[in-house]
Amino acid sequence: MILPNTLIVLIGTSTLGFCCGLVGSLLLLRKRALLADALAHSTLPGIVLGFLIAGSQAYWALGAGALLTTLLGAVLVSRLPILTRIRPDSATASILGIFFGTGIALLSIAQRSGPGAYSAGLDHFLLGQAAGMLQQEALTITIVAVIVGALMILLHKEIMVSCFDSTFGKGTGMSMGVIDLLVMLLLSITIVISLPAVGVVLTAALVVIPPATARFWTDRFTHLLAISALVGALSGISGTLLSSQRLDLPTGPVIVLCSATLFAVSLIVAPHKGLVGRRLRWIRRKQRREMQRILIFLHENLQGGNEFVARERIIAGSLAADSSALRFCILSGFVEQAGTHLRLTPKGIARAERSISARKRWTEWLDSAAEIDRNLIDLDEEDIERLLDRRSMEIPDMERDSK
Amino acid sequence: MNQTAIEIHDLTMAYREKPVLWDIDVEIPKGSLCAVVGPNGAGKSTLLSCILGTHKPANGWIKVFDVPSEQSDELIGFVPQRESVDWDFPIQVLDVVMMGTYRRLGWFRWPGKAQRDWALECLAAVGMADYRSRQIGELSGGQQQRVFIARALAQDAKIILMDEPFAGVDAATEDTIRSVLADLKNDERTVVIVHHDLQTIEDYFDHVLLLNLRLVAAGPTESTFTRENLLRTYGGQLTLLDEAAEAVRRIRSGRSMGKAGGK
Repeated sequence: MILPNTLIVLIGTSTLGFCCGLVGSLLLLRKRALLADALAHSTLPGIVLGFLIAGSQAYWALGAGALLTTLLGAVLVSRLPILTRIRPDSATASILGIFFGTGIALLSIAQRSGPGAYSAGLDHFLLGQAAGMLQQEALTITIVAVIVGALMILLHKEIMVSCFDSTFGKGTGMSMGVIDLLVMLLLSITIVISLPAVGVVLTAALVVIPPATARFWTDRFTHLLAISALVGALSGISGTLLSSQRLDLPTGPVIVLCSATLFAVSLIVAPHKGLVGRRLRWIRRKQRREMQRILIFLHENLQGGNEFVARERIIAGSLAADSSALRFCILSGFVEQAGTHLRLTPKGIARAERSISARKRWTEWLDSAAEIDRNLIDLDEEDIERLLDRRSMEIPDMERDSK
Repeated sequence: MNQTAIEIHDLTMAYREKPVLWDIDVEIPKGSLCAVVGPNGAGKSTLLSCILGTHKPANGWIKVFDVPSEQSDELIGFVPQRESVDWDFPIQVLDVVMMGTYRRLGWFRWPGKAQRDWALECLAAVGMADYRSRQIGELSGGQQQRVFIARALAQDAKIILMDEPFAGVDAATEDTIRSVLADLKNDERTVVIVHHDLQTIEDYFDHVLLLNLRLVAAGPTESTFTRENLLRTYGGQLTLLDEAAEAVRRIRSGRSMGKAGGK
């Protein structure tokens, strides 16, 4: 059972997560993640000023104030390193501190001397209050999310070029300046609309964590955007449900914790870049390498007239192989055990011969290839056979060099 | 018929009032393999960005195939310096090459099958079709250079600029890049390369442009890459001077013996 109020919050937080995930990807790829934090903090003086000028906590007044100081912060962060000798990271950190300090000072002034009790809720913007999200807030977030999503779809290739190689973009006449401006604007708007929900302090986390999570799952730009948006939306939904149904905790922090959980899970289980996957591949590789060595060793002995080889000579003996590799050989039916001795089965002999010839062909090919590809040097016989059959037709480097 | 590919006239370029290039006046003929040579800070990379159009010169103009570069529709290929590329970027080899089709595709439109096929063809031309779905950071140095050359081919660029493709690559990779360059030359493309290794200039390039803030000399390697010009380019920088002397000695001994005594 979901209350209508919760439904509004759900819509707001999921579209907010979607929006932050998209915009955050661009920051991550530009290596400007810290910028999100600086801009989020620079909204605070704007919020308070908006309140002081309008005399009420009207959504538009606070929003306009926040957007104004954020944009000012964005301009300063990008111009300071050009106009002075301050480095970009120092500029970002300084702007964060200066604006946030100003904001806090203004806030205490407003709370002491402002129009009485009306100023009471202002400090909610520090940590956000998603559970109290209004209909108009959710609506604004949804509209912004739709616009951001549409722009990403329309401009994905221009945005990708501006992130990856803006010199190339400029050189081919794409207006990189327009794109940069657009990205800055989208970032500022996204930060401003996320303030009521997650607050000044946590907004950056919602912008930075989803793309970092998505990076574990893909090597392609468009996929990164999509996954990051999905992670953001999922964190929004799960955080809202968890905090409203189960835990009696503020929604904003729970959303951030949910996205952090997704990050941690991805770090561990993502197939190519995850810790477990990498570990498993490493173990498998090692085991196959050892299996190959065992088979070749037994085969050499067989040729020398020793059909049976003592187990100790393989395990921690002259080969120093792992016993799990040997077990794997036996399980695969390549080796059979006779008391303390081992010998190759007919299947094992065939496999060893195949492996020896593949290795020989492979070293020959490597010797003649112009450059060695690090990803290709350590291969199984199956990979070698597949590669060499395909390559024997072209091998451009080889032919060119032999002439 | 020796058409001019790039014509630079009275070009002066400055960063914050400090001139980086001063009064450059040079023509690069079509179909040449041209090396841009000079000490560090001589403005070599800046010259490339001026030709590419990413930097506006303070004075002077550049013409590409007799059309002022701002009005030219001619796409110029650019192979960036290796350190300036983010090799961790989530992008696969074929996606990089597809970037070459973006300008002709125009704003808002997504690349389709035609662009994909064309990009694959360009990738095959540099012998990298097998690597199309690799993330770019997984490639070796020479393969990375070839991917960016394929991007220039996808632009159908008649002019290709390369910023130190030979920096920090091993001998085998250097060979590979060289053979790709030879292919580009056979295609009548004009290639301008910032190059540091004076020893190899004579072997690799048929045209040379000696630069040190001002243009010291430009022309066919045979007549331009001389001891006098190198001394004027590198000035009093002693170690470089030795290197230059060594390079020149090699040239002299490699050529006809009759010239060897001449100073």
